[in-house]
Amino acid sequence: MTEGGKKETEQIVVQSSRFGDITVAADSVIHFPAGLIGFPERKNFVMFDHRPPFAWLHSTEDPSLAFVVMDGSQFTDAYEFKPPFNDKEVGITSDGEFAILIVVTVRADPKLTTANLKAPLFVNTQNRRGAQVIHDDPKFPTRYPLWVEADAASETGQDAKKAQETK
Amino acid sequence: MLILTRKPGESIYIGDGIKVVIVEIKGNQIRLGIDAPSDVRIYREEIYLQILEENKKAAESSSAATETGLEGLTGGWAKGAGGKPASSGAATLFGSAAKPKIAPKGSGAAGKNKDGEG
Repeated sequence: MTEGGKKETEQIVVQSSRFGDITVAADSVIHFPAGLIGFPERKNFVMFDHRPPFAWLHSTEDPSLAFVVMDGSQFTDAYEFKPPFNDKEVGITSDGEFAILIVVTVRADPKLTTANLKAPLFVNTQNRRGAQVIHDDPKFPTRYPLWVEADAASETGQDAKKAQETK
Repeated sequence: MLILTRKPGESIYIGDGIKVVIVEIKGNQIRLGIDAPSDVRIYREEIYLQILEENKKAAESSSAATETGLEGLTGGWAKGAGGKPASSGAATLFGSAAKPKIAPKGSGAAGKNKDGEG
């Protein structure tokens, strides 16, 4: 443990059942005032890269809670996802900066891994507050297959087609 | 559960800020109008439950990513998603502040960040 070179930024240690102790800058924490859907008690997360384009969104409060996420702008234009401009607790504005994270559901067979385009996370990058939004619109599938190879994707191919129409 | 009888055009208030109007009844369908503060989230139940389920599955399944490292996926990563090919991980969205130091335990799959800083 090197404590040397005191930096001005305060560091916190996040406990992870997967990665052990992770040291991050305290101001890198992302706060979800309402938590994620189904996890209302877990409001604080940190992010770090996995293998690009995947990253981890890891709870600072629950060592075993972590999501694999990816950058939503890789799927479609940011505004197609309809940012929650009216969520005052998050405070995203049309001229502000925000990021979109898509939650990934991993399967034992990576070819079956899917992305939940129906419920992206929006994060105001200025205040690092975020919210999960649900798009009540069939063009956004909850299980968009990430692996595009004719046969592997056939099971969820219908959804993929729908999502492509969003282009 | 509180049960009330209303006619089309009539409303109920929930607290001071939420008004639910019976707009129309057509056969076995009822159209509701809801006036609520913008920070109140309103979802159809089945969609809400679907997302809740998928979030739980994503949280549980993410351990598979620790094990496999999503190895195959990063190679076969879809062009079909309609975007540019993925060049960097999403954590870079948040700038260098998000880069953690990880005390490796086991293989520490997330340990190597691609450093975009000058």
